[in-house]
Amino acid sequence: MHNNPSDLIIVDQLSKYYRVANKQPGFKGTLKHFFDRRSYDVPAVTNISFKISQGEVVGFLGANGAGKTTLLKMMCGLIHPSTGLVDVGGFSPQRRQTAFLKEITLVMGQKQQLIWDLPPMDSLYVNAAVYGLSDHEAKARINELADMLELGEELTRPVRKLSLGQRMKSEILAALLHKPSVLFLDEPTLGLDVNAQARVRSFLSEYNKRTGATILLTSHYMADITALCPRVICIHKGSLFYDGDLDSLANSLSPSREVKVELKNSCSSDQFEKYGEVQDLNDRFVCLLVSRDKLTDVVSNLLTDFDIIDLEIGDPPIEQLIGELFIKGDIN
Amino acid sequence: MKRYIKTIRLFWSTAFASQLEYQLNFLIELLAMLGTLLGSVFILSLFFTGGRQLGDWTWESALVIQGVYTFLDGLTNALLRPNLTEIVNYVREGTLDYVLLKPIDSQFWLSVKKFSFAGLPEIILGLSIVFWAATQSGTSFSFYLLSVFIISLFVGFVILYSVWFLIAASSIWFVKTWNATEVLRALLAAGRYPISAYPVILRFIFTLVLPVAFLTTFPAEAILGELQFNILFFGLILSSLFFIFSRFFWKFALKHYTSASS
Amino acid sequence: MRIFGLSFKVIKTLLTTQYAYMLEYRIEIALWALSGVLPFIMFSLWSQNDVGNTFGLNDIGLARYFLSAFLVRQFSVVWVVFSFEEDSLSGRLSPYLLQPLHPLLRYVAAHLAEQATRLPFALAIAITFFVLNPSSFWLPSLPQLFLAYLSTHLAFSIAFLLQSLVAALCFWTEKSSALERLIFVPYLFLSGLLVPLSAFPSNVLKVAMLTPFPYLINFPARILSGMPVDIFNGFLAQFLWILILLPSVSILWKLGVKRYTAMGA
Repeated sequence: MHNNPSDLIIVDQLSKYYRVANKQPGFKGTLKHFFDRRSYDVPAVTNISFKISQGEVVGFLGANGAGKTTLLKMMCGLIHPSTGLVDVGGFSPQRRQTAFLKEITLVMGQKQQLIWDLPPMDSLYVNAAVYGLSDHEAKARINELADMLELGEELTRPVRKLSLGQRMKSEILAALLHKPSVLFLDEPTLGLDVNAQARVRSFLSEYNKRTGATILLTSHYMADITALCPRVICIHKGSLFYDGDLDSLANSLSPSREVKVELKNSCSSDQFEKYGEVQDLNDRFVCLLVSRDKLTDVVSNLLTDFDIIDLEIGDPPIEQLIGELFIKGDIN
Repeated sequence: MKRYIKTIRLFWSTAFASQLEYQLNFLIELLAMLGTLLGSVFILSLFFTGGRQLGDWTWESALVIQGVYTFLDGLTNALLRPNLTEIVNYVREGTLDYVLLKPIDSQFWLSVKKFSFAGLPEIILGLSIVFWAATQSGTSFSFYLLSVFIISLFVGFVILYSVWFLIAASSIWFVKTWNATEVLRALLAAGRYPISAYPVILRFIFTLVLPVAFLTTFPAEAILGELQFNILFFGLILSSLFFIFSRFFWKFALKHYTSASS
Repeated sequence: MRIFGLSFKVIKTLLTTQYAYMLEYRIEIALWALSGVLPFIMFSLWSQNDVGNTFGLNDIGLARYFLSAFLVRQFSVVWVVFSFEEDSLSGRLSPYLLQPLHPLLRYVAAHLAEQATRLPFALAIAITFFVLNPSSFWLPSLPQLFLAYLSTHLAFSIAFLLQSLVAALCFWTEKSSALERLIFVPYLFLSGLLVPLSAFPSNVLKVAMLTPFPYLINFPARILSGMPVDIFNGFLAQFLWILILLPSVSILWKLGVKRYTAMGA
C-alpha cells in the first residue's frame, strides 16, 4: 500500500466479527440455553478501507448497529480487528502505547469519566497527573479550554448538580486536557438540547481550526454532521458504501432539487414542461423538480420568461434522504 | 514513577473529598468494626473454655492472629474492596474504555483509584491488638523481629491483593463477580484462627492452594519470634508469583475485552 | 386464587421470569452457595480441637448441626437491600412504583426463584459433606423435615423484613446498604452460624434470645439436626417477630414512597 505522508489514519480492509450466544425467550429457551450454549459469528464491520489526512473532520453515518462505534473503537485501540489493518499516526492503536494514547482522546456521549460526587475540577487535576502535565500547564490549559467552552464556576460545582449540557462540556474539557491531536467522538451531543448541541458544535469547529486536530465523529443528529463534517463516511450493515463530501452525498442521493414558483398570472402545466418535471400546479403556484446541473439555467430562464412574485429553491432534507437510503439498503 | 506517585496522591485526596459527603458511612464502619471484633474475640474465647488451647496456640498468641486479621481486614476495606468491586462497574458501564485509553497502567489505575478512609481505624486497631497481645505473650521487640513482621505482612497483603484482583479481573467475562468475592471472603475468614488448629487437609489447602496461612498465621508467628526463615523466603517467592500471575491474567483478560467489547 | 391481592397468573409469571433470570446467573449462584462454607470451617475447628466435649456435644451431633446451619442459611439468605439500592440509584425504581405490584413482592419472587436455583448446588455441597463425614449421615423424619422447612421459611421472612426496613431507608439516604452491616454483624455472631448457641455462657444466651437472630439459624437448624429444641416457643417467637416487623416495614415504606414522590426524584 502506498503511504502518502499526509495520511494520518489508514484503515485497510478492516473487519470485525463478534461471537454471540443465542438464547430463545421464555423458560424453555432458558433451559435449553442452560445445557446447550450455541454461538455464532456476527460480522460488525466488513472489509472497510479509507484514509484520513491530518486536520480533517470526518463524520461517520449509519443506522443503529451499522458498525460505526465498532469502527471508531478499532481506530482508537479499544477493539482488536479480526482482520485488516489500522494505522493512526504510525501507531498500531490496539497496542495502546503511551505515546499513542497521549495523542488521542475519546468522548462517548453516553458514558462519563468525571467523578460524580465531586466538581469537574478534581477530575481534571487527576487527568492532568495521569497525562503527566505539571500543575502550571494544567491550569493554563484548563483556563484556555474553559474559555472556549464558556465554562466558569460550573467547574467547581459537583458534577451531579450540573445540567446535561454543562456536564458534556466538562467531559469534553477533561478529554482535551492533554492536547490530543486526534479526537474520537461517539455521539458527543446525545441527549443535549438544541442550544447546547449548537455550542458543542461551534466549539469543535473552532478547536479544529485553532489546533489543526483531526476529528472523527459519529452522531445521530444530521445537524452535527452538516455543520462540522465536509467529509462523511457512510456505513451500512458493516460495509462502507459512501466516502466523500457531504454535498455530493446529497447530490448522489437526490439528483434533483425542488423549485417552487409563485406567478403573477395563472398558467397551464404544459408551459413548464420544458423546464423540469412538474410536481404540482395550482392556479398561480407551481412546483418543479429540476436536476442539479441545470438548476441555474432553469432559474434564470424562468425569471426572464414569466412574471414571478416569489421563487424558492428547496432541498429534500438530508435526514430524510439518508433515512430513505438506509431503508433502501443500497445505492450505486 | 513520579507521575504514578502524583496520581496516587490526587486519587486519594479526591477520594477523601468525596467521602466527606458521606460522614454517616464512617460511623457505620466504626460500629461494624467494633461489633465484629467483639464477636470474634467472644467466639475465640469459647475455644479456650476450660483452660484448653487452640492448635497449641495460647489465648494471647491467638489474639495476635485476631489483630493481624483485623489489620488486613482494615486494609481490605480501605483499599481492596472499594477499588476491586468497582471493576465490574467499569466493565458494565463501559467506562473501562476511558481507563484503557489513559497513558497509565490500567491495573494500577483500577487498584488504587479509591481509598476508603473508614478503613483506617480498623488498620490502627488491628496493629494495636497485635502489639498489645504480643507483649502479653512475652515478646521483646527488636529491629530484626519488626522487619520480619513487616515483610511477612507485606507478603500476606500481596497474596491477598493478587487473589482478589484475579477474581475482580474475571468480571471481564462474568458480569457478576460479587459472589466469587463472597466465596473468597468466606474462606479468608478461616484466617481468624491459627492454621495448626485445622485438620491436616485444610492446613495443606490453606498453605498452598489458598494461602490463608501467609495472611495471618505467619505474620503472627513473625512478631512472636517463631517464624522460620525458610517460610518467609517461600512466602516472598509465592507472593511474587501470585502478583506476576495477576498481571499476566489482567493482560489476558484485556485482550479478551478489547476483542469482544462493543 | 389470590395471594396478597395477586392473581395466581401474576405470581406464576413473576416466579418463572425470575427463575429464568436466575438461571442466567447460575454460576454466580453456585459460587454464592459455596460462600456459605463458614459453618464447615467452624465445624473443622470444633472437631479437630475436640471443643464439643466441653459443651456436652459429640462430633456427630456437631456435624449435623453445622450442616443444618449451612442448609438453613442457604434458604434464608436475603439481599433485598442491595438490589433495592441498585434499582433506586439507577432509576429503575420509579417505573416499579407505578406498577400495580408492591416493589417488595418483586424482590420476594426474585429471592424464591434464587432459592430454587440454589437447591441443586446446596444439595451437592451437603452430599460432599456426607462423603467426607460418612458417620454423620442422617435422614430427618418427615415431621422434622416439615417443621424445619416451615421454620426456615419463617426465618427467611424475618430476615427479609429486617432487611426491607433497612432498604426503606434508601428513600432517605443514598447508601443504606452500608447500614446493612449493622444487622449483619450481630446476625453473624448471634444466629448460631458459627457456634451452636448452647455453647454460649448463659447470660450471653439470655441476651441473644431477646433478638431475632437465633430464630434465623439456630432454631431451624436444631430442628433439622434433631437436637433438643423448644418447638412451641420457637415458632411463637418467629411469629411474634413477623408480627412486629411486618407493620413496621409497611409503615416505613409508605412514608418512604411519600417522601420519594414529594422529592420528585
